Amino acid sequence: MTSLAELQSIVGHQFPGGTYRVEPYRNWLTCDTVLSPLPADEVAHPMFCYYGALAGMGISLDELFALAGATAEDGVMFGEAEIDLRRPLRIGESFTVRGGITDVERKEGKRAGVFDIVAFRLELVDAAGEVAAVSTNSFVFPRRAS
Amino acid sequence: MPTADVGDALPEWTVDPVDAEKMKTMAALLADPNPIHWDVEAVRDLGMGDRPVNQGPSNMAYVANMLAAWSGGHQHLRTLRVRFLANVFAGDRVVAGGRVSAVEPADGGTLATCEVWLRRGDDTVMAGEARVLLPA
Repeated sequence: MTSLAELQSIVGHQFPGGTYRVEPYRNWLTCDTVLSPLPADEVAHPMFCYYGALAGMGISLDELFALAGATAEDGVMFGEAEIDLRRPLRIGESFTVRGGITDVERKEGKRAGVFDIVAFRLELVDAAGEVAAVSTNSFVFPRRAS
Repeated sequence: MPTADVGDALPEWTVDPVDAEKMKTMAALLADPNPIHWDVEAVRDLGMGDRPVNQGPSNMAYVANMLAAWSGGHQHLRTLRVRFLANVFAGDRVVAGGRVSAVEPADGGTLATCEVWLRRGDDTVMAGEARVLLPA
């Protein structure tokens, strides 16, 4: 199992970052998948705050799991999530994504055993340099195999 | 546009059933490598039952949809913060709901803070808080 010291060393890690464009087809498919009516006035579904942040952070989910000493097969779960929309995101709009790991915590439950919570925060910055939205999340890493 | 008073219940929004095929589309859209969203064997191997597990962000999206239906559109959502308390599985019936917990004047309208949740029967599978700007 990843040691607590190893885990704590990733706090402050900055992701490479990148760019993300809210492609019209992705908005359409996303709305269809989550059963949302297509938003009016070219407004993207608000969950693009999360989708765009994750897609533009510059590393894959597999790489993020690896930073925490885990793989997709370990049953990684969501703990908490927040989308903070300073304004609506628009279909076709492009953003720069930046952010990194903000916190780690090890816990032990009677039934769940040892698990780690890794929190990360990502900003979507628009063409004018303004933060349009912030996605803050925590993933739960079960350490069953140890 | 709706008015909001503290204690008001938000109109419920139901998904029945949660569809395994939608999970596959979402996994592809998100480039999500976690097999619990499409591979029943992987779900079994992890001792999580025998049905695919819905993506957490999709559960969040259901609550966003509920808030949009109430407020008049997705453009009114300002924040949505949730805790994931239990998995939602293919075939489940889930209901998104909420209640207004505070209202305050804001630039352009009224800012309503709402307690929100997603429930399966009597079980709350996701809970949190949202802030929605209701235009004047």
